[in-house]
Amino acid sequence: MIGYVAGRSILHRAHPYTTLALAGAVLLGAFAMTRPLQVGLLVLGAAGFAALGGGATLRSSAKPALLLALPIWVLLFVLHGLLGPEPRVFFGPVRLSAAGIATALVLGGRVTAIVLAFLTALATTAPHRLVEAMTAGGQPFGRIFLLSSTLTVLPRMRERAALILEAQQCRGLRLGGSPLARLKALGPLALPLVLGALAEVDEQVLALDARGAGDRREGGEGGGGAARRTALDPPRDSTAQRVVRWALLVLVLAAYAWKFRSMRG
Amino acid sequence: MTLRDLVLIRLGVAVNLVIGQIVAALLLPVYLDSVGTILVAALVGPRAAIAAGLVSQVLNAVISGNFSWLPFGLVQVVIALYATAAARLGAFRSYATAVPAGLGMGLVAASCSAPISYFLFGGVTAGGVTVVTTVVRALGAPLGVAVASASYATDLLDKTIAFVLVTLLLRSLPRTLATRFPALAR
Repeated sequence: MIGYVAGRSILHRAHPYTTLALAGAVLLGAFAMTRPLQVGLLVLGAAGFAALGGGATLRSSAKPALLLALPIWVLLFVLHGLLGPEPRVFFGPVRLSAAGIATALVLGGRVTAIVLAFLTALATTAPHRLVEAMTAGGQPFGRIFLLSSTLTVLPRMRERAALILEAQQCRGLRLGGSPLARLKALGPLALPLVLGALAEVDEQVLALDARGAGDRREGGEGGGGAARRTALDPPRDSTAQRVVRWALLVLVLAAYAWKFRSMRG
Repeated sequence: MTLRDLVLIRLGVAVNLVIGQIVAALLLPVYLDSVGTILVAALVGPRAAIAAGLVSQVLNAVISGNFSWLPFGLVQVVIALYATAAARLGAFRSYATAVPAGLGMGLVAASCSAPISYFLFGGVTAGGVTVVTTVVRALGAPLGVAVASASYATDLLDKTIAFVLVTLLLRSLPRTLATRFPALAR
């Protein structure tokens, strides 16, 4: 399952910025790693990060991470191992490119580490705590709105797309046939969906404005909202967590400095 | 940004993600995951389109769980800027101008996505593109050529269809609705 898993681990209690900074550091750090051993250590680091979230988090992030990474590993071994450059080495009955295998290990390890780290962050960061942290941090309303409301709009749009699909099929729209015929069916399906949503824009703007969502500094329509909002229950931040976040930034910068230095050498 | 821009960005993100559902139902060999970004570029402008593109990339990662494709967010920024310029030059006024503009978008998008795919992921990205890459590589082409040819082939088709679809949407806008978007008049 992908998503938040309730718990009381150190990651669940941490400030959302700290958890996201850890995942971000794995993402940025992964592209600074160029050797299988380095990437292997990064994967272990990502697994350690997942373990900090407790057993339930580890289960809910490790399994989907492996399922997502598996097809990529297969494609990497085909593209780089089977079709890679000479010289070749025997792996059981197959001859694989030695350099290609090393490349596949680096690339596959990167994807595994990134996916595992972010699924862990997703499993341990309650969306409402992130919204509260952003509000307390003085983030502009627009960013918070886009983060929190887009996910709620998606199921509605999906539902509407499914309804339009059924309605147009009832009116005789055929979804099969040649690629050109299927392409022509795209218009009757996409048009009502998008035009219907565009027609509702003004209504949604008014509803948001009536709730004081506008921001004078940002030129919000109606300008009914205060410039700064108050978070009801902001997550607690600490000096130690701020130090961790800065240390992660320094580590990532150091990794890139080391990478570029070794590239020049 | 105004509240109206924010609501339109949200709409653009939802279109980016939901059109994929329709495309899958039609079994079309394209993604059309930037229709919303292009639409917002034409209706609002570059800032909103960039926001729609980047939020789509992040939400796609949150929904699918595959966060390793986040670096492709750069391509969404390029799409937003190109689509804004194309809209200001009147590319969405007719299909005759939308098709070459879409082909140009495909070239630009592939020129951005191919290096990301090659250098960061060794050519292994989304399923369909990687299958094309593998076939071209198996035919004896160097990896760089295989990755580039797969990116150009898929992006040229994908972005041309996206531009034609956005043109169809804008031309179908009722006059009362169209007047609410000043960027369209420009």
